[in-house]
Amino acid sequence: MELLDKLKILADAAKYDVSCSSSGSNKKNKKDGLGNSCYSGICHSWADDGRCISLLKILFTNHCIYDCTYCINRVSNAVPRATFTPDELVDITINFYKRNYIEGLFLSSAVLKNPNYTMELMLEAVRKLREQENFNGYIHLKAIPGADNYLIERAGKYVDRMSVNIEFPSERSLKLLAPQKERETIIRPMSFISSKIIEGIEDKRKYKKAFDFVPAGQTTQLIVGATPDNDANILRLSEALYKRFSLKRVYYSAYVPVSSHPNLPSISAPPLVREHRLYQADWLLRFYGFNAHELLNETHQNFDIDLDPKCDWALRNIHLFPVEVNYADYELLLRIPGVGVKSARRIIASRRFGSLDYADLNKLGVVLKRARYFITCKGRYYGGINMDVHSIKEQLLINAKNSRSLDSGEQVSLFSLYPDLLSTGDKLSSITGEL
Amino acid sequence: MLYYFYDGSFDGLLTAIYQAYYRGETPSRIVAAGDFQESLLAEKVYIRTETEQSQRVYVSIQTKISRQALRNVFYVYLSELPDAGTWIYEYLRLGWKIGKEFDRMLSDGRVLRVHKISQRVNGERHRMMGLIRFRCLEGNIYYAPISPQYNIVGLVIPHFLDRFPGQNWIIHDVNRKIGVFYNGETWSLGDMDLENEIELSNGEKLYQSLWKEYFKSIAIKDRVNPKLQKRNLPVRYWRFLIEKGQ
Repeated sequence: MELLDKLKILADAAKYDVSCSSSGSNKKNKKDGLGNSCYSGICHSWADDGRCISLLKILFTNHCIYDCTYCINRVSNAVPRATFTPDELVDITINFYKRNYIEGLFLSSAVLKNPNYTMELMLEAVRKLREQENFNGYIHLKAIPGADNYLIERAGKYVDRMSVNIEFPSERSLKLLAPQKERETIIRPMSFISSKIIEGIEDKRKYKKAFDFVPAGQTTQLIVGATPDNDANILRLSEALYKRFSLKRVYYSAYVPVSSHPNLPSISAPPLVREHRLYQADWLLRFYGFNAHELLNETHQNFDIDLDPKCDWALRNIHLFPVEVNYADYELLLRIPGVGVKSARRIIASRRFGSLDYADLNKLGVVLKRARYFITCKGRYYGGINMDVHSIKEQLLINAKNSRSLDSGEQVSLFSLYPDLLSTGDKLSSITGEL
Repeated sequence: MLYYFYDGSFDGLLTAIYQAYYRGETPSRIVAAGDFQESLLAEKVYIRTETEQSQRVYVSIQTKISRQALRNVFYVYLSELPDAGTWIYEYLRLGWKIGKEFDRMLSDGRVLRVHKISQRVNGERHRMMGLIRFRCLEGNIYYAPISPQYNIVGLVIPHFLDRFPGQNWIIHDVNRKIGVFYNGETWSLGDMDLENEIELSNGEKLYQSLWKEYFKSIAIKDRVNPKLQKRNLPVRYWRFLIEKGQ
């Protein structure tokens, strides 16, 4: 088979993996080496769906022994199949890299023969890149659930980031849609990688020469909308993963209908807004000091599709507002809708030189169309309406609707994955992926 | 109204700032000679670049204000906006008065303006680190034409030196007609104009078509979103992108 056809099949089969980030690793090049990596990550292009292309995201093979209902690569699906050789993969990666098309490789795979066999092939490609080609760029490797720990441990010494996809928020959903997989085989490698990372950091403290184990950390991904799990379950799971395994990221992937099966919901379009709300909430967990149970709980199990999670939370906790921006501490500033990490930091920095006017807030990047209802500035309230939940909600919905009609792409934009972080002036810096 | 003119170089701009200080004058604008539209009312002073003077201003920004301020000034200079000189001058005057803490005064227009532009230039520098596309030419030279909005070609050198130390490469700003040349050992930044057609190496077309194929295959058809794509990847950058070009 021609290389071009293989690439086509195996890139196409890899596209549902969300992650393409090349961040979290800061390596200078070695002597006679090729490549380095930059802590913030670098995007190299944006595909027609608007998602960033940073790594060569590809499967080693799409031949699979499993028959997971939701997956395009399931054994019962009639799609063209292909498998790379390690050398072909190395050649494409190196030549793409030298032309600055990519930041590195994101290698995943379907399961050929058995998990260990597959993992060994992937490992061989990665080893060749590092040892034979002296390649020092970014590598993200997917750990194959069910592969032995020693293989994962060996791989972890070569790569920057590893991930195991958890796929579904609950064991019940996994049983339903991926009956041959067990939750245990997914959690075990995650926990193993996490303990190895911690071990690596401790070793590094003792011996200078100790190598970094997966320096850019591990991530995971789960599918949203293929199962009846509610947002509260998903968010609680994410919180637990961040806390227990110190994951760098949990990615959410709106379910794209790839097959019809009685166990799968029949939907016409992927639930993009829901995915977006989950990302916003994820950011609130990681950068804004929120807990999952504050955002969602038994009485409030799903996000409001029309309101972002922070506004939603603020309206349910209106007794905490209005907040005086000239006195509030950082933690409280972060809780105001329309104030992000950057603008909160700017407020703290600049108010040391004198108290801030309402007009200054705009300059500092505060999104006033949301923030104005929740703050006072020098004691004055600028909301212009009664400070009660219903009036504010109504106003927020009108504002949101107006901006959507101006820009219908907004709701699924990558930028909007940073809730409130960006004012228009900040758009460029967001590209640097500073977070 | 007093206008200062400098030769367009960074040294020239710093010399103008030095002169303003030592003459005890406060020019209302400092502009590069080429950028100016005639004004009858202005009193004009032409500044001759003196590297000794510019060097003193350079050191003074670094020691009396901060390295951060120096970087902001240089980035704003590279924006090549007509008012860049004036904005830098006003920013620095405040900096010398207040000291390095002044960078936190974001509600002050003079500080905010410089920060915003410096961020934009830095943003394009970062963006270019991803968008530069090398083509492998005959003789194993990797050549990348670019046409950035700001003059950032010099700012990406350290990144590519570290990344591709064993490769011969050229990054060519085709609009400004300048280029960076690296031969595997040393680099230089200078004027560049390409007269002859470039000749691609044998394997080049293969990798270009592989890359185009990859670019096509990786998009999820159910999520196609041209607006988002254009926001992240403005059309002005498409010209030299293999995946977007002809």
